[in-house]
Amino acid sequence: MFKPALSRATVLAVAAPAMALADDITVFAAASMTNAMAEIEERFEAATGHDLVVSLAGSSALARQIQQGAPADVYISANPGWMDTLEADGLVDEGTRFDLLSNSVVLIAAGANAAPVEIRPDMDLAGLLGDGRLAMALVDSVPAGIYGKAALESLGLWGDVAAQVAQADNVRAALAFVAIGEAPYGIVYATDVVAEDKVSVVDTFPADTHPPIVYPAAALAESDNPLNHTFLEFLSSLEAREAFERQGFVVVPR
Amino acid sequence: MDWLGPEEWRAVTLSLQVSFWATLVSLPIGVFVAYALARWSFPGKQLLNGLVHLPLILPPVVTGYLLLLTFGTRGPVGSVLAEFGIVFAFRWTGAALAAGVMAFPLMVRAIRLSIEAVDPKLEQASSTLGASPLWVFLTVTLPMTLPGIVAGAILAFAKAMGEFGATITFVSNIPGQTRTIPSAIYAFLQVPGGESSAMKLVIVSVVVAMGALLLSEIVGRRVAARVGGQ
Amino acid sequence: MRLKVALRHAFADFTLDATFEAPPGITVLFGRSGSGKTTIVNAVAGLLTPDAGRIAAGDWVLLDTERGTRLPPHRRRLGYIFQEGRLFPHLTVRQNLTYGAWFAPKDAPREDMGKVVDLLGIGHLLERRPGALSGGEKQRIAIGRALLSAPRLILADEPLAALDEARKSEILPYFERLRDEVSVPILYVSHSASEVARLATSVVALEGGRIVAQGTAAEVLGDPAVLPAGAREAGALLIATVVSHHHDGLTELDAGGAPLFLPRIALAPGTVVRVRIAAHDVILSRTRPEGLSALNILSGTVKEVRPGEGPGAIVALDTYAGRLLARITRRSADALGLGPGVAAHAIVKTVSVAPTDIGGGIRRAAPVSPNEPGR
Repeated sequence: MFKPALSRATVLAVAAPAMALADDITVFAAASMTNAMAEIEERFEAATGHDLVVSLAGSSALARQIQQGAPADVYISANPGWMDTLEADGLVDEGTRFDLLSNSVVLIAAGANAAPVEIRPDMDLAGLLGDGRLAMALVDSVPAGIYGKAALESLGLWGDVAAQVAQADNVRAALAFVAIGEAPYGIVYATDVVAEDKVSVVDTFPADTHPPIVYPAAALAESDNPLNHTFLEFLSSLEAREAFERQGFVVVPR
Repeated sequence: MDWLGPEEWRAVTLSLQVSFWATLVSLPIGVFVAYALARWSFPGKQLLNGLVHLPLILPPVVTGYLLLLTFGTRGPVGSVLAEFGIVFAFRWTGAALAAGVMAFPLMVRAIRLSIEAVDPKLEQASSTLGASPLWVFLTVTLPMTLPGIVAGAILAFAKAMGEFGATITFVSNIPGQTRTIPSAIYAFLQVPGGESSAMKLVIVSVVVAMGALLLSEIVGRRVAARVGGQ
Repeated sequence: MRLKVALRHAFADFTLDATFEAPPGITVLFGRSGSGKTTIVNAVAGLLTPDAGRIAAGDWVLLDTERGTRLPPHRRRLGYIFQEGRLFPHLTVRQNLTYGAWFAPKDAPREDMGKVVDLLGIGHLLERRPGALSGGEKQRIAIGRALLSAPRLILADEPLAALDEARKSEILPYFERLRDEVSVPILYVSHSASEVARLATSVVALEGGRIVAQGTAAEVLGDPAVLPAGAREAGALLIATVVSHHHDGLTELDAGGAPLFLPRIALAPGTVVRVRIAAHDVILSRTRPEGLSALNILSGTVKEVRPGEGPGAIVALDTYAGRLLARITRRSADALGLGPGVAAHAIVKTVSVAPTDIGGGIRRAAPVSPNEPGR
């Protein structure tokens, strides 16, 4: 599809002198990992003395950037689909891909003490929303949005509420809409709620309502950074595991 | 139109609607602010000037967030307006507000330059002939500022058509309500295989922008000639 | 209706302090640049508020700083003719002319547009825009615009200063017509003695912010002590009547009984004219000279000799034709023994009198100065 070689080469040619001198590594990670990556960054830098640069955005946006030659060393996506796309393009370093984390999607409500509601196929979600909107990430492209829509579809609720969905750029933006009280309900990852005290989890979507949420991580083929292996190993370490679990992620056993 | 699918078409008509209203409503405010900055002196004038230019300098996402805090249904202004039935959150009105705010500095700059080019001696002459300050403005200043107003309006319209960051942060991406052309392009690009839809909208954007620029040139020149006394 | 002005305003380097009255007709504020003339006019217009003052047109008070009355410019019902015209470029000539009329009160007496257009000769320009017009045409339209706004008072700030000599002589007659045919008082600012000579019904001479003389044009111009525009501009005003036109291109006039020959004037016998004789064009002699080429030899008595700062001196001579001023060297004044009461002759070359120095066709007889001898 795209031939990023030339643009990548140009970018690297410009960045190469810098890269040759510095001991650092650039990681593109899904926005839902924001808080976790902050801690990972601290710990990695303390443990190895190397500099970690993290770029966080919707997995789809990151994948597009990588396709266009962005100088990332490692990519952690919030769903396998985008990693598959990059693999098909030959952009993933063979043998380095593995499933790092697992997550679940939850229905949240504005306010710290919202009343719990059971998620069932016969729930009146439209009635619950009333005039308000259901904040979600972009449902066709951002993983959190894709999983949320899949869950609602399998519960037969999507048709009722589709017109009331407010699609945000990424899952954290969707979270912000609910935290501010602008949207009464939203669908985000369980991990997103951990740090946010202005919203509360109303219920978790059963795992069988959506494809398994898996966060694959891999080094990128065009990157020749010697630290890639070190970093990927670090992601599987005990320290990293503690950081992820603190944020509510489930670490996939290696 | 067969070439544009229903989704794309919706984005185009929404963009035109949003940009049109954003420009129309902000025009009188823009003229007033430009006049105040050009002709009056008052305490806080520099502050006003800075505020007007803020959307030009702040990252659009920040502007969008500030709009959300102020004009959202829980915000100080938004909650009051909601009483009167004026709602911006998640509506095209919000997209228009975001587009209008982002385009405002460009509009004010163009109009202010034009007002400053009006010779104050002509305004003096007008007042000696019996025109009160309001009539001086309406019969002398305003007609002579017309080229700048036209230029400012078209510039604002074009900017409004291209506004993205503030819009998506303030009112998210809702097809038919807030999914303007740039938001639609962004969303289509995120989906594998969405490039062709995105490209079609890009072509529409370019055509509209070029059309607006050409129009502003032609109209601007015609108006300037009339005003210049030819 | 008389305009009464009294004001005081402090500037960085001098203080303007002026009190005067302007009768109907043209009152010229005469003086150098910086003497305060434009300030006075702008104060009357309301474009400037003096530190203290009272300005009234008849009973109607425009400004009274003591009582705190101050009418804004747009309520003062005046027509201001600016030096640069200041026509509105986005309107046609017709629209410019009728602009002021639109704002005038319904019951204000208005000039007839046709009459004004004829008076100023601008009928063929009505649908044009000011942008492409000449300086002279623009000023005529500016005059028309001021007239048609139904003013109670007309102000003119050096309206001819931006024009060349040919344009000036083209427009001066229009101001003369204004003076003679329009009943509104006109306050006119000028630094040119010939404009004063031609146009002024009364003159207020200003120097350094103070009034140094007031009176008719003949009085003020004939006073050697008053040279607000400098010695080079000195020149007295004679009033004369056209007698006949000679076939060799000269016109003979009667100036107080003495004949005066000037280059051909296009006016009928019997018309009263004002003639300005520049002081530097007058030669003096103790005895009546013979065999000179100059046609005009007027005898009179020296009233006053005023030495200047340089080598020059101004001699005021009272003749049957009126007061004349002559600018000669102090050396000659001493050598000829000129002093008050001494008899002398003034020689004026016919060709030295320019057409712009001759003010044509006064309909009303000019006020006679009580100082004029022999009449």
